[in-house]
Amino acid sequence: MSGGGGDRKKKSWRGTTGGEEAGGEFYQESYPGGEADMDLALPRDPHHLATLLPSKQNRNATTKHPRRDSRASLKRRTSTRSRYQTTTVRQSTTQINDIQLSMMPDLSENLSNEERMWEEIMLIKSMPISMAQKKEMKAQLQSADTFRLQGLKQFKWQRRKMWEQFKMQWKETYSKLELWKHSLKKIEGNFGTGVVAFFLFVKWLMLLNLTISAMIVVFVVMPTVMLPPAPAPPSHADPCSVFISPDNQTNNEPVYCCSTSYKLVKNRTENETFIDFVQGTGWMESTYVFYGVYPDKVLLSDLLNYNLPLAYIGIALCYFLYSLASILKGSARGFKERLIEGEGQFYHYCNIVFAGWDFCIQNERSSVIKHKALYNEIKGSLEAERRADEKRNRSREERFKILMVRVIVNCLVILTLILAGILIFFAFSYSRSELEKIEMVEQIPRYYSLLLEFAPSMCIVSLNLVVPTIFNYLVSFEQYNPIYVVRLTLFRTVLLRLSSLGVLIASFYPLLKCQIHSSDCFQESACESTPCWEVYIGQHMYKLLILDTVSSVLITFVLNFPRMLMAKHINCRLARFLGKQEFELPKHVLDVVYTQTLSWFGSFYAPLLPVITTLVLFVIFEVKKFACLVNSTPGSSTIYRASRSNSMFMSVLLVSLAVAVIPWAFSISEMMPSKTCGPFRGQRSAWSVMEATFHTFPGWVKATADFCTTAAFALPLFVVLVLSLYYYYAVAAANKHMVAVLKKQLILEGHDKQFLLNRLSAFIKQQQERHKAAAAAARSIDVPPNS
Amino acid sequence: MGHGVSQFTEQELQDYQDLTFFTKKEILYAHQKFKALAPEKVGHNRNAKLPMSKVLQYPELRVNPFGERICRVFSSSRDGDCTFEDFLDMMSVFSDAAPKAVKAEHAFRIFDFDGDDMLGLQDLRQVVDLLTKPQRLSDQDMQHLLQNILDEADLDDDGALSFAEFEHIVDKSPDFANVFCIRL
Repeated sequence: MSGGGGDRKKKSWRGTTGGEEAGGEFYQESYPGGEADMDLALPRDPHHLATLLPSKQNRNATTKHPRRDSRASLKRRTSTRSRYQTTTVRQSTTQINDIQLSMMPDLSENLSNEERMWEEIMLIKSMPISMAQKKEMKAQLQSADTFRLQGLKQFKWQRRKMWEQFKMQWKETYSKLELWKHSLKKIEGNFGTGVVAFFLFVKWLMLLNLTISAMIVVFVVMPTVMLPPAPAPPSHADPCSVFISPDNQTNNEPVYCCSTSYKLVKNRTENETFIDFVQGTGWMESTYVFYGVYPDKVLLSDLLNYNLPLAYIGIALCYFLYSLASILKGSARGFKERLIEGEGQFYHYCNIVFAGWDFCIQNERSSVIKHKALYNEIKGSLEAERRADEKRNRSREERFKILMVRVIVNCLVILTLILAGILIFFAFSYSRSELEKIEMVEQIPRYYSLLLEFAPSMCIVSLNLVVPTIFNYLVSFEQYNPIYVVRLTLFRTVLLRLSSLGVLIASFYPLLKCQIHSSDCFQESACESTPCWEVYIGQHMYKLLILDTVSSVLITFVLNFPRMLMAKHINCRLARFLGKQEFELPKHVLDVVYTQTLSWFGSFYAPLLPVITTLVLFVIFEVKKFACLVNSTPGSSTIYRASRSNSMFMSVLLVSLAVAVIPWAFSISEMMPSKTCGPFRGQRSAWSVMEATFHTFPGWVKATADFCTTAAFALPLFVVLVLSLYYYYAVAAANKHMVAVLKKQLILEGHDKQFLLNRLSAFIKQQQERHKAAAAAARSIDVPPNS
Repeated sequence: MGHGVSQFTEQELQDYQDLTFFTKKEILYAHQKFKALAPEKVGHNRNAKLPMSKVLQYPELRVNPFGERICRVFSSSRDGDCTFEDFLDMMSVFSDAAPKAVKAEHAFRIFDFDGDDMLGLQDLRQVVDLLTKPQRLSDQDMQHLLQNILDEADLDDDGALSFAEFEHIVDKSPDFANVFCIRL
């Protein structure tokens, strides 16, 4: 038997079990009379002793016997209640669960009541026995005498049962409604759980955007559409027409006039439906998609006054907090897993072997690749271990060389990033200045101006395509281990994507700055002609989003699909080299996260952007599915593990949320909203609406809030936080220490057990031999007189 | 689905629902899948016993290196032939709803090839071989790997993994519950 075989082998490896020479007498003294029992219980092979230990007995009782025994004997076994109870005990120890704990056998009560019986029936399903046996057990339990529950207890039990049934029903309906269930299964069958985690992530993001959209639509868009705004101030006889002329700069017109002028400016632009749709100008600008059209007034109806500006900023705050909370919730799970993983770099090999195969794989080809990938991973891990040994022995020169290479590569990466930033900045300012010129001349063909409009966005998109390839190339020089390479490349690419977005946002700033100082509604002469900078930003985000989606659709269908066809049908090495593609998870994750960043940042300036993003993500899911199932060959040399990738997604998303929120927070608190448009026209900053509302609160709320911001409150709070942090740190450290101690103890116990078992088996062998010798001696003594 | 209803009484479905991690609809769906393996046989007798070769036609089992072993573990006659009830048991354990402990229990039985309730070196070697086939690790690598596994998981140092030790690993493995899943 392999257990015994293992024992023997292990012994020869470690060679720790010495002291065999101490004779058997010791045992005879300490266990008088035990000998006879042992002889009975012992099988022929003394090494089999281990299976007799109490720690092994429990499991034997539950799994081995029903498996081995015939059905007839099983009947007897199941009819005695005790067997079932041992199962329950084991269940409750293995699964720390309240229900299970309450199932601990209560010996004071022999007859169970209905609720208990029901609970026990519910437990049968998790037992490792065949269906026929389960059925039998259920019948047994049902036929046993039970107490009927009375009164409140009965009611509670019924309620619990109803709740369970309801949950079952819900599960059934939910599984019908579940989106993309079939696609996910198909992807899983072909690519395994790691890639499915990405698609689940896309789905999760889509639901997040759907929630955000719902919030915005319900609290911002619907009221604007349904409720009439408060009546305008007493009408002037169109005094505003005077103010629009650019030369009238000294005047400090009322906000109302600026709004009118904004409308006039909007009407000036010519109507070109498609181009306007793509750019978000013209008729698009005056839809509810953009910030500009939302009124700055309290909306009135018969029932309520609706303060739209307050709702606008409040909802923005809400959905950012909601996003943060859901990311944290998602990553908390991942974080726990990562912690476990961190502690258990320890369980690395076990994880490969016992959780290596995706049981959901159903495709011949991908199973072949999975086999290969597992083989490679095992090989790679062993190799890495060997390399780590080598690394310790690496000479100083080699170490220095690698260090130099890494420094140089990092410098190159930073240089590339800076170059990319400069390129984006120049593209932006060039397109601005050219566009201005065009507006002067007004004879350049329309498509040229469209090209210019899109220049910054296209620059960003093409950089996103090219630079990661360079990074991929550079990282191969650095001689990191494969897992670290994936992380490093991802980190660098994230840096590129987000910094390019950052540069774009930053290049808006000077544009807006000059507007803030002007007292006019807007100045066409001094600054660029942006009547409403919020809309301008919104338009840019909208354009980027559209362009990004279109480019990913085009790349998938126009570039990669023919490549795949080429690789498949042309039997030539070059074609195959050019056409073969793998589903590179990090790249696709970045695409999606980038989209989400655009949506977050743009959502304040274009409130319907999350709705668009929801649709875009829906499309992207299908596109990526195509890219995955049709374009890519399944599996790659690296195995993507669901756990690892999930925590990766969430951390990237968290960074991108920060990138979106920080400029937003700056813009609402520091920058003056444009006077011509939007819900905050005429305010010092968007945040001042919040402040104004705060001032209308009752005195004690204000007092409390004021107190909360004073040092008298903050300092003690800080101290308490630090102390509690320290406390938890200390507890964690103590626990860690305890774990180490217990582990050591466990190993020692194991050694003790091994030692004793070996001594025992040696002793028994000795005894048997002695018996044999005695018997032989007796025979030899007996024989001669007879003969 | 309407076709399947005639084959089971409400009481039977209720029993199955109580005794597995499935809802009634899923049970009927599972039966459809089972029937698809051998339409003429199962159409005749809904609880017909299918030989292992037929059960292994099920897509996920066909490509699974442990396919045969799974059939043997779940077969009530121990020879790999499965009735519908055995199949339902199997799917129930592999379903999303089954808790980790149940999955661990069965995984242990699947990996325990010689059935001695311990994952010994022989068992582990077999598992690794099935995982990497058709390639084989060199003897030295295999030795190294097994040694690493035991170093990681064999807490009591007896050269084999007991169920408790196995469960401990599985509990800590972030992937196990995800991976040990066959969706209907």
